[in-house]
Amino acid sequence: MMRPEVAENVYLPRVAVLDRVVDEIQDVKTFYWHFEDPADREAFKSFRPGQFVQVTLFGAGEMPLSLPPSPTEGETFFTVRRVGSCTEALHGLRPGDKFGVRGPYGNGFPMGSFHGKNLVFVAGGIGLIPLRSCIVYALAHREKYRRIQIFLGARTPRDLMYRDKLLEWERSAGVECYLTVDRAEEGWAGNVGVVGSLFKKPGVEVPVEDTVAFVCGPPVMFRFVIRDLAGMGFSEESIISTLERYMKCGVGKCGHCCIGVAYVCVDGPVFSYRQIRKLGEDI
Amino acid sequence: MSMRARIIHRDDVLKIVDLLRRDREVIAAFLGRGRDSAFGVVTDENRDRVQIHVPNPHYPPKRYVFPHIERIMKLRGGNGEVRIEPTYDAPRRAIFGIRSCDVAGIWHLDRFFLGREFRDIYYQRHREALFLVNVVCTDPGCDIDEHCFCVCADTGPAARDHFDLQLMDLGGDEFMAVAGTPAGEAFLDEPIFRRGTAEHVERRRRILGEVRKHFKEMTTSWFSATVRYVSQGKILDKTWEEIGVRCLECGGCTYVCPACTCFTVRDRQVGPNEWERVRLWDACALGGFTRMAGGHNPRRAVHDRRNRRFFRKLAHYFIQRELTMACVGCGRCNAVCHGDIGMPSVVEMIRRATAPEDKMEPVEGTPAGSK
Repeated sequence: MMRPEVAENVYLPRVAVLDRVVDEIQDVKTFYWHFEDPADREAFKSFRPGQFVQVTLFGAGEMPLSLPPSPTEGETFFTVRRVGSCTEALHGLRPGDKFGVRGPYGNGFPMGSFHGKNLVFVAGGIGLIPLRSCIVYALAHREKYRRIQIFLGARTPRDLMYRDKLLEWERSAGVECYLTVDRAEEGWAGNVGVVGSLFKKPGVEVPVEDTVAFVCGPPVMFRFVIRDLAGMGFSEESIISTLERYMKCGVGKCGHCCIGVAYVCVDGPVFSYRQIRKLGEDI
Repeated sequence: MSMRARIIHRDDVLKIVDLLRRDREVIAAFLGRGRDSAFGVVTDENRDRVQIHVPNPHYPPKRYVFPHIERIMKLRGGNGEVRIEPTYDAPRRAIFGIRSCDVAGIWHLDRFFLGREFRDIYYQRHREALFLVNVVCTDPGCDIDEHCFCVCADTGPAARDHFDLQLMDLGGDEFMAVAGTPAGEAFLDEPIFRRGTAEHVERRRRILGEVRKHFKEMTTSWFSATVRYVSQGKILDKTWEEIGVRCLECGGCTYVCPACTCFTVRDRQVGPNEWERVRLWDACALGGFTRMAGGHNPRRAVHDRRNRRFFRKLAHYFIQRELTMACVGCGRCNAVCHGDIGMPSVVEMIRRATAPEDKMEPVEGTPAGSK
């Protein structure tokens, strides 16, 4: 439940403290943090996979960031690529530094409505960031879902992030995890090719009936994967993704993320491919 | 008329301004040079220049509830001490003489900023401090120009509600005053008001009937058909492209629009380790509106952006969502647009291109007044 002072002013960030920083891949780091006020920490626990937050960096401004942790984990963190002025400022923070966070916002993935289904996660590059939350969440509620598959593509082996998690998933009996890279490097004995090529690998069998496919990645990867999935018999409703847009408020007011009949921040960011097509813009 | 109507003498009308000024700042439209007019604060010096009939200023009164630039919080960070503190500046205000289209604009903003899941506290504070004295447009030479289409947008010439007090010139020396809220109702107890008669009500009805005839007969009577075309996705790509070609991307239409709501947020440094967060109007016409960090812009072409603006204003989905349309028929966008793609012109372009394709509505000829 929102507390009165937070509910009154939806634009007001709460103070957060950076705990530690972990290098993921080139220009991408994971920032572990906590809210300074225990009441904020408590209120934040109920976020859903696929939701996002608005993060304030003093002197740089505010930006939306997706939440890679699952609410079933004990820690809160962001994984962020250095790409603009706000992300640059975040990358410059040291443990103990403070910043602002408000949220969570957005609809999130309706994980409850997927009970009894197969889950197929298809991620390209840092598209794994929002999907990480769902994967960890689904594995924490393993009995609720049928088969769980992860297909992950990266440019090179050096671009594979969340390595510990990847190892864990590869070794886990409860999940089938397939990796591929566009360009192999010395020491890489795995698959080479775009992520869609994994679907046709010998020994890989992707369930289509009663299956939800989560697809996140760069626009070009998204288009090809959609085509592959459609070819395999996935309906537009059974493919879901998240949209990224420039956002200033996160609460459906500033207008920047409004496409078609939706405000991505409040009606999304999670949409089925059918919805995305009707909204009429590129991902 | 269900509301309590009162009559006030022409010589007493400005006393309403004086009464309001006792405990609030009063804004009114002042005539500048030529036909220009602008909203300004009523002072002892300019009080006698307040006019009942005056061209509606292009720069809309929206800024009294949604300022063009507004500080929303102070931030202090770095070197250990961190403070985030909201700042509010919402003085008690009245707008004297706000037109019916602009009253509808504020009502749209009410629905947008205060409705749905999240409430905008900054807007709310401005709005709660605001008293609206609506003046019905009755003077064809002064109040109504060739761009006005409130009759089509169903917002005027007389607002039906959402004002505190409404004044209407009944000719001669008499004005009718109607209260729209308890605050307005309380105002009618002032001794400058007296009871109206059935004749006054009848005169009001007759004048409104006459006034309606002074609006340029425009194709904006196609408004509702356009809403249907937009909502059903019937508008041809080439129409959006044609509209896009004519857009100079100046953002003028959004600047003068009483119902546009988009804003951006910037932090500006005001001292060592101190910033203030301001929000300012933004415009979907501008190329950078949807550009993300890293440079990816999902909405590249200018006609995508024009499509966006008109879709947002006309699609049935949004009208239903806010229960009010994001176009109030003030005509300002048409008056300021160098490419002649203000709302009435766009409605006409859409009609001309879409109607012949529309099986629901086989069209012979065109409505009067259009080419």
